[in-house]
Amino acid sequence: MIERIKAVLIQEYYISYRSIEVWMDNIFFPVMTALVFGLIAKYLSGENALAADYLILGMSFWFVIQIAQYSISLGALWNVWSRNLSNMFISPLSLTEYMIAQIISSLLKSIVIFGAISLMYYFVFNFNILKIGYINFILHLINLLIFSWVIGMILLGVIFKYGTRIQALAWGSIFLFQPLAAVFFPVSVLPPVIQQISLLIPITYVFEGARNNLINPVINWQNIGMAFFLNIIYAIISTFIFKYLFNKSKETGQFARNEG
Amino acid sequence: MADVILRVENLFKDYGKFQAIGGISFQIPRGRVVGLLGPNGAGKTTTIQILVGITLSTSGKIKYFEKDFDKNRQYCLQRINFTSSFNTLQGRITVWENLLVFARLYSVKNPESRIKKLSEELEIMDLFNQPFQELSAGQKTRVNLVKSLINDPELVLMDEPTASLDPDIADKMLSLLERIKKERDLSILYTSHDMDEVSRICDEVIFLDHGKIVAQDTPLNLTRKISDSELKIMFDGNKKPLENYLIEKEQRFSYLNKNTVVIKTGEKQIPKLIFGLGKEGVYITDIEVFKPTLEDVFLEIARGGKNDRKN
Repeated sequence: MIERIKAVLIQEYYISYRSIEVWMDNIFFPVMTALVFGLIAKYLSGENALAADYLILGMSFWFVIQIAQYSISLGALWNVWSRNLSNMFISPLSLTEYMIAQIISSLLKSIVIFGAISLMYYFVFNFNILKIGYINFILHLINLLIFSWVIGMILLGVIFKYGTRIQALAWGSIFLFQPLAAVFFPVSVLPPVIQQISLLIPITYVFEGARNNLINPVINWQNIGMAFFLNIIYAIISTFIFKYLFNKSKETGQFARNEG
Repeated sequence: MADVILRVENLFKDYGKFQAIGGISFQIPRGRVVGLLGPNGAGKTTTIQILVGITLSTSGKIKYFEKDFDKNRQYCLQRINFTSSFNTLQGRITVWENLLVFARLYSVKNPESRIKKLSEELEIMDLFNQPFQELSAGQKTRVNLVKSLINDPELVLMDEPTASLDPDIADKMLSLLERIKKERDLSILYTSHDMDEVSRICDEVIFLDHGKIVAQDTPLNLTRKISDSELKIMFDGNKKPLENYLIEKEQRFSYLNKNTVVIKTGEKQIPKLIFGLGKEGVYITDIEVFKPTLEDVFLEIARGGKNDRKN
């Protein structure tokens, strides 16, 4: 089992190393976007220092979600585009092993990018993300990662089921959550109806909690617990949905047709 | 009795109301090469996809090494492999990196030495550092073949492996397959449209049409089922005696030109006909005999001939 997980991870490493798109999508675009947001925050800091911090905090944590989800969904697409995914699943590799490898890969990628962006914010913009508190930081990070894996897994299932014609969802649909989860601003800014939807999304509690932690780094177990609870429910439901979509894609022949 | 590597029992695959596979059963004993033939849409590729687990069957049983495939997926897949002209390896990464990934997926011991040994046999050592997507079709096929042998499989399923190759490379690949099969006592399930190829390497052929097995035998026996050979006779002089004789003997014939006649007849009738025509005074200048090939069997099935069908 470990050998097969390692095999997928090695392949991920080779693809990442040899594809300029991966470097652009995972390093260049995030760093540039983070830099622009940093500059906007600096500009705003004279007027409203807290709002400026909200922007930087939101951006830093957003990339954890974006990179982790992107990594899971795109990991399979690289093989679909090369018509190699079937080859992999014709080997003794199980779906669980494949997903574990994708989760590890996404974890490594998002930590590296998040680390790079955090360091840039620390040295260039004098913003230390750890001021929200070490434990808060770790717990928020865990909740963000679980959520991104859930979304990545559902998107992967949808791609398996409906094919590459909807592949744009892999890198586009996560942005739906940027306004809904109030990534850069307090939930209270949203219209009341949208606020109700927002409160059903686990990461809303993470961003809201992290913003509060900028002022008061005391651990808010209620917020963190709610995010975790919703994440667990999401994870259970998404596992069922993913397995259903994967089996359905094999039942309809779409899984094999994805490659031509 | 040879042990059975693959046993397929009453396999069905429906896509809604369309039946792609209609209850096929067959088996592959160790060391045998079985060809799966049929016109486009006959169900060959769907069958292979079900056999390797990337498409689910509607019903039926698949057993590898007498173990149920559904319940022992990893065990079975560890001992078989697959190659197809429709699937390739990861294009961005090098040949060596691709092979290393697959060696690990199959938990091969000493993966580096295994890859080197196979690559030496199949002459791909010089391709190791090239990205897979930059290889020619022939090179890709050879690399795919190395991948399909990386776990020392007992059965390889090959879906039109020579489809994108020019005849010279396809011939080399077939020679290679013949050698590998002999050396390793390898079983192969082979789909192809090329009848010469199938006649050459298959011990047994299964003809599929509309998802059903319509004929199953050795290539030789299948061609024997088509009784008619073609006898082409070129002659000089009047065609009347020739025509009269052929009509008298109730032969089917047609003219290619005014001095060439083609007679469709049983193989055993040919000497008698030639002798008889000579006796009738027909001056024969040349004779050609065309025995039925596997392609004739294929065409007869593809065009809906019913006489050879097994129900």
